[in-house]
Amino acid sequence: MERDLAQLNVALNSVKVLRSNVRSVFESVGNGLRADHGDDGKENKYIIELQELLTTVNNNLRDVENAVASLTPPPGAFSLGNTTYLAQETTQERQALYGQLVNSYKWTDKIREYSALAGNILQTNSFNKTYKTLSTTKRRKTQTSNHNVSPEVIENLITGIDRLFPDVTITTNRPFVPNPVVQASLGRVLKSIIGFKGLMIEWVVVKAHAEASDQWSDSRYKVFQKVTENCHAAMCHFHSPMMPDLAVRSFMHWFHSYNTLFSAPCKRCGNHIHNNLPATWRDLRTLEPYHEECK
Amino acid sequence: MGVTILTQFPTENRTGPQTIDVLSKRISALGASQQGQFLVDCETYTSAPQLGHQRIVHVLHNSEQPATVFSILESGTKTIPLATDGLFDLLMMKMSSFYTSKKQTKAESKGPRFEIGDFCVKLGTVTISSNFKGILVEVEYRPCVVPVMCWDLMKEFLQGFLGLSGPTNPPAYLQNRMQEIYSPLDTVHQYLEHFTMFRKMPGGVGMRP
Repeated sequence: MERDLAQLNVALNSVKVLRSNVRSVFESVGNGLRADHGDDGKENKYIIELQELLTTVNNNLRDVENAVASLTPPPGAFSLGNTTYLAQETTQERQALYGQLVNSYKWTDKIREYSALAGNILQTNSFNKTYKTLSTTKRRKTQTSNHNVSPEVIENLITGIDRLFPDVTITTNRPFVPNPVVQASLGRVLKSIIGFKGLMIEWVVVKAHAEASDQWSDSRYKVFQKVTENCHAAMCHFHSPMMPDLAVRSFMHWFHSYNTLFSAPCKRCGNHIHNNLPATWRDLRTLEPYHEECK
Repeated sequence: MGVTILTQFPTENRTGPQTIDVLSKRISALGASQQGQFLVDCETYTSAPQLGHQRIVHVLHNSEQPATVFSILESGTKTIPLATDGLFDLLMMKMSSFYTSKKQTKAESKGPRFEIGDFCVKLGTVTISSNFKGILVEVEYRPCVVPVMCWDLMKEFLQGFLGLSGPTNPPAYLQNRMQEIYSPLDTVHQYLEHFTMFRKMPGGVGMRP
């Protein structure tokens, strides 16, 4: 493939040179005798010049023939797939579509190439955002794409989490087909609305059960506003592009520790209330309750 | 609507307004801001003798639920709570030949209402037929709806500004309902419990206007 391309380039170049030299022959013929041929024997000089030019053209023609001879003709007609139908487009403004199509094809090709490179580099320099360390064999097995996953995979993950915690009730809503919005009710304590983007958690809002279940407005209670804030921090902490399902599972495990939001005293100071708020922070590793100021 | 704890605060040798003043200063020092006033009132009706077995209906209003009239019917062993809209008052007036109220028993608790974080604190001066009876402190923790989950937290908060006078055990009415979801009717029940206690108090005690 690479060699073919090089030969094709050589052939195209020699055609270009031939055309340019043929053009200078015609220019010379068109101009006829010029002042710079002098007075003595100007006809002879002109003929010699023409001869020289024609020799160059001859040489170039030979080059072209050589180059073309070394090309391998393509086997059969090109299949353009559905793009052939573009030729049948009659409206003026759509006729340029083929060029755009080729451009976007080039772009995706480049993206594939670069992402493969980036993937290789990241694999050798892995960065761990979670505390859990896994063997490399396991990691390879669970490697999945994060952005473009089928709804079934997400569905399986969510039902898995639903079964994992008996006091977390999960209801799923899909305003946009692949990206579910999950409402997770944690006992009688609180509910959270979690927006997924593929396998990754994109947005979390924590509210009281009595409040509306939209993901755009904040809770009116200070304690849930604070928990929402902490959930965002945990969401970023557990985020791991290499193992998105593990990130979601760790997040839900951490989130589940909020079932003692009102009943557990702070591990550090031993009190329930600080600054009129209960212990709103849960340690990311030990899941122990702490006040915002005590952690 | 969150879990609400109602507790009595002893006046000791202060007058009612003085006590309210002391408590207002304490709660303000903790960072609370006053958000208007509140009022809870209770009227008690007894059935006419010709209806046979005597029944008592307590009709309560709470400024926190201004469109609702709460009523609790006591007939011997059973108590039947009812939450209705404002027209119930007019219905009671229509039934004045069957249920009559003793004018001396009208109880109410009113005073300033504070908000501090997610807590709502109300300092009520209790009067029964406009005689001062005592001080009732109501604390509501609005995000939580199950008493058993937040009782320790509320106890800590109450002791934080009531000191040793804060409660150590949940109110008697709530003790059997700690696992259930709290409703405004539970608040009304607690008020009724306290009003009944105040009514039974001998006339002279706590009569400092």
